[in-house]
Amino acid sequence: MSSTATATAAPAASAIQRSQVDLVDFIDWSGVECLNQNSAHSIANALKQGYREDDGLNVESDADEQLLVYIPFLQVVKLHSLAVKGPEEEGPKTVKLYSNREHMGFSNVNDFPPSDTVEFSAENIQAGKPVVLKYVKFQNVRSVTIFIEDNQSGGDVTKVQKIAFFGTTVETTDMKGLKKIEDH
Amino acid sequence: MVLEATMICIDNSEWMRNGDYTPSRFQAQADAVNLICGAKTQSNPENTVGILTMAGKGVRVLTTPTTDLGKLLACMHGLEMGGEMNIASAIQIAQLALKHRQNKNQRQRIIVFAGSPIKYDKKMLESIGKKLKKSSVSLDIVDFGEEDEGKPEKLEALLTAVNNNDSSHIVHIPPGPNALSDVLISTPVFTGDGEGGSGFVAAGPVAVSDFDFGVDPNIDPELALALRVSMEEERARQEAAAKRAAEEGSSQNKGDEQSSKSQDTTMADTTGATAATDAAEPMSEVDALLQQAIALSMQTPASDSAVRDTDMSEANNEDQDLAAALQMSMQEGEKDSSGQMDMSEVLEDQAFVSSVLASLPGVDPNDPSVKDLLASLHGKSESADQKKDEEKAPKDDEK
Repeated sequence: MSSTATATAAPAASAIQRSQVDLVDFIDWSGVECLNQNSAHSIANALKQGYREDDGLNVESDADEQLLVYIPFLQVVKLHSLAVKGPEEEGPKTVKLYSNREHMGFSNVNDFPPSDTVEFSAENIQAGKPVVLKYVKFQNVRSVTIFIEDNQSGGDVTKVQKIAFFGTTVETTDMKGLKKIEDH
Repeated sequence: MVLEATMICIDNSEWMRNGDYTPSRFQAQADAVNLICGAKTQSNPENTVGILTMAGKGVRVLTTPTTDLGKLLACMHGLEMGGEMNIASAIQIAQLALKHRQNKNQRQRIIVFAGSPIKYDKKMLESIGKKLKKSSVSLDIVDFGEEDEGKPEKLEALLTAVNNNDSSHIVHIPPGPNALSDVLISTPVFTGDGEGGSGFVAAGPVAVSDFDFGVDPNIDPELALALRVSMEEERARQEAAAKRAAEEGSSQNKGDEQSSKSQDTTMADTTGATAATDAAEPMSEVDALLQQAIALSMQTPASDSAVRDTDMSEANNEDQDLAAALQMSMQEGEKDSSGQMDMSEVLEDQAFVSSVLASLPGVDPNDPSVKDLLASLHGKSESADQKKDEEKAPKDDEK
């Protein structure tokens, strides 16, 4: 089942609600991978703070128009909404999200159903407003895989300027805070 | 040293019975595969290699990616030739085998030995290449054996479709006197993307000449390390000395006693002037020693100035005993006002200096420039002997 979200829907207008935070700080950068990206335009341009704000920097696809991005998080999070920004023509159209699936490849994206699918229209991909996801499917997320299936114009290259997740963290034990019990 | 999982695709079709590579195409290929397995597992202990055959009844995976070199060599035995090579399925199956590798941090690489004609068309190969590129798999192609029309073009097209930042390579090896494996060793298939193959112990008849210093780091790592370190030190010192010489040369313009002698004026100008200046100033003994030694070496026109600077400064900076000995000989010469006297006193000890130079770690006595230096210094001492005799007479008188 897929949910289509438009920019006019009320929940989408203010995705930052109920203390949803931008999860960029919780991304585990050492494990971020992007398949089929053009090496000159890498995924960091769309994800990292500062780079993603710059519309001139974007991630581009290489051999064809699909992109597969794997983002692990430093701790368990709940995903509330997703903001994707891209140019009108080459921006993504169909975006499928898979939660907690490691090391997917293009060959097995179709093997299991996505946790959520978002179809962007040309206006809302240009605006880059956050889109609410199926919150119930993303309660216990360690990693998320973004599969960009096609782009707005249907051309060979997909360009994405910004990808941002909003949500909350789940209470997890901070291992650094644990102190060793002294033996008496 | 890149962490990699490799799948090697072997061609065991009927075309491999041909003997245009010694002893037969198949045997040459097997040797090359053995060498590659060895090289990959050596360059990084966590590298894995797997093997599959492309012809026969169908594509068959002999081993999935493993670190065990013994297993890889063992499964090369007892292979039978027959059938036709199916390159498209082979590459796809290799990709699948790589996808299920245990260590997902390894990069993926496929090495294809294409010895028989390719029946697929370019488009098909290009689409396969594109899929490989999407999954960031690198591909190395060894084009040998049967020279079919269009085969090189098809393989080149496949390579361009896969190639991402030069991580994929193709090698065309025509039949010839050299063994297939020997030719392959020097190619990027073996050496990776510019990393040396020098860490790899040659299992076959390949000479040790690949190594930097004629010493196999695996057999004698300490010696190899010592040679490399001393070479780097030498280089660093040469650069420092060259810089210093360049600075002094640009600022000096005085004539003096040394340069007025029958020397090569251009060379003597720089350090000759320096020596005079320094001799006049009150300096520490080591510095005076250093400058005089440099002037000494600069006066001989045959050798490279930088090397001599290096030799002498090495002598003075590193070897305390040598410094002390030279200093003692210097002290005899310090009484004389003329700088030339100082030179001859040092020259007196030339035999000692040359023997010490030969024993210095950074100096190779067989180096032609060092030989020239020694020869010219010896020649100097002979001509200076006469003057020395003259001076010795008045000295004896003083004593």
